[in-house]
Amino acid sequence: MTEKILSEKNRVVRHSRLELIEHWAIAISGLILLATGIFELPVAKRYYIVTVPGLRWTADFITSLYLHYAAALVFTAAGIFHLAYHGMRGETGLLPKKGDLSASVTVIKSLFGFGQEPPMHKYLPEQRLAYAGMAWIIILLIVSGLIKTYKNLYAPDLSLAVVLTATWIHNICFVLFFLAFLAHMAAILLRPNWPMVRGIFTGKVRLDYARHRHALWIADLEKTKEPLIPDRDLRCGKV
Amino acid sequence: MDSGKASKITRRSFLRISAGAAVLTGVHVPKTARAESAGSLSTLIDLSLCDGCADRNMPACVQACRSINANKIPQVAENIPEPWPRKTIEDWSKKQGVFNRLTPYNYLYVHRADVMVDGRSQTLFVPRRCMHCDNPACATICPFSANHKNKNGAVVIDPDQCFGGAKCRDVCPWEIPQRQSGVGIYLHVLPDFMGNGVMYKCDLCNDRLKEGKKPGCIEACPRGAMLIGPRKEIEAEAQARAHQINGHIYGQKENGGTATLYVSPVSFELLNQTMTKKPGQPDMKPGVKRRMAGTDPLGKAVLASPVLGLALAGAAGWFSRRKERQARQEEDRD
Repeated sequence: MTEKILSEKNRVVRHSRLELIEHWAIAISGLILLATGIFELPVAKRYYIVTVPGLRWTADFITSLYLHYAAALVFTAAGIFHLAYHGMRGETGLLPKKGDLSASVTVIKSLFGFGQEPPMHKYLPEQRLAYAGMAWIIILLIVSGLIKTYKNLYAPDLSLAVVLTATWIHNICFVLFFLAFLAHMAAILLRPNWPMVRGIFTGKVRLDYARHRHALWIADLEKTKEPLIPDRDLRCGKV
Repeated sequence: MDSGKASKITRRSFLRISAGAAVLTGVHVPKTARAESAGSLSTLIDLSLCDGCADRNMPACVQACRSINANKIPQVAENIPEPWPRKTIEDWSKKQGVFNRLTPYNYLYVHRADVMVDGRSQTLFVPRRCMHCDNPACATICPFSANHKNKNGAVVIDPDQCFGGAKCRDVCPWEIPQRQSGVGIYLHVLPDFMGNGVMYKCDLCNDRLKEGKKPGCIEACPRGAMLIGPRKEIEAEAQARAHQINGHIYGQKENGGTATLYVSPVSFELLNQTMTKKPGQPDMKPGVKRRMAGTDPLGKAVLASPVLGLALAGAAGWFSRRKERQARQEEDRD
């Protein structure tokens, strides 16, 4: 992770190029999975989606399955990459910390004009909680999806108990993933979060915004003169 | 086999010849042509033996099937909810007597095929029902896993879990499952917006198989035109019978392979020409492909994707560590 203060440009590097690739690989493949997952249900003909120009293919479950598999390939590889890569590097900044729940309530209240926002680290407490929730949903989707794929390819007569468990975990997590996606989009609509949107496209956010809202993170960064020192080392107090 | 040769044999003489040949050559009904086997089962339908029960109002196999499944469908809702926005309702409850096609109340029917082989007419009777495919898309991609392939080869729909979306019918090359609206779990969820009944089809009399009995149609056939037994034995039997009559087999490769093998003295191209695919009346196109097979390579890539993710993470971790080490070394030099 390369976090760096660019004072002359009034920017701070929040996400590395690799993290941006991870985020967008999971986001885009996840959206394709949501859409093709819906089209694996018999809805396209019933709801006249097939009559929409360009969406004729939605009634063909096999075409949707091609797309679903293609997106699952990216989604699974990116998800496993994320866990393994950041796990190996000991980067735990997005994992929930003690007191995140009450801090989240304070932050959310402040977003609606009740009270003051506490000084925050790189990630907001509710971001950390949402991350943990989303991570579990994605892990369950991946595991159940792999079981279903294995069944499709090699074991159509797999134990019914296993098949039903995988199916219902997949279906329930599909709904939760959709709700989590909506909540993610709703968070973007909140004005105080707008400056972070730039960060997920360019990797950088405004330094004045970060000083104001992520004071603890900027303080950590400023403790060191060398901007290339990894976040992990900063958190471990090696400098 | 060339269809010309078949035409020189009349149907009646063919029946005699095939029965005699079977005895003489030791080709016999497999000893284990029963249903107790715990392994994968197959069925054989010998079209050279089936005469469509011409002396009866209803073929014996159809009658037995209907009798066994008579109470399968519960009382249909008096006012079947009208699905929204497409208002399709499939209600067979007032046409339960129909037996010349597949319906939710009729899982087997017999097609009469009048074929001309080298200018001579022949009549064959083709019992039609679910083929119980080896890798049935109807079951594997059912969104609620309400349809499942059992270890014994029977593909069975659980009416308590089925929402009647008819996806199974759409992905079946023969469009076998049939819908009855106004019954099932969807009535208790969101009947106007989701689901539309329950799908029904032949389940190979799976409950009877569990009790060590044969499927009703096989047990009832007065001509012994149908067999059930361990897959390998039935396959060998089908090959032997086809060889004896210089005939043809259907179901071995179709849709990726099925647990139903038809043996016919007439080619299936000719038989298929007598079948116009209509709702509840499937055709018999030889070599019909399993469409999901095209997705298998991508599916295999999905199964390999966790390894891909780990490999990429390992490589990226190695590069980033090296970059950091180099940065520290430069820092130390300064």
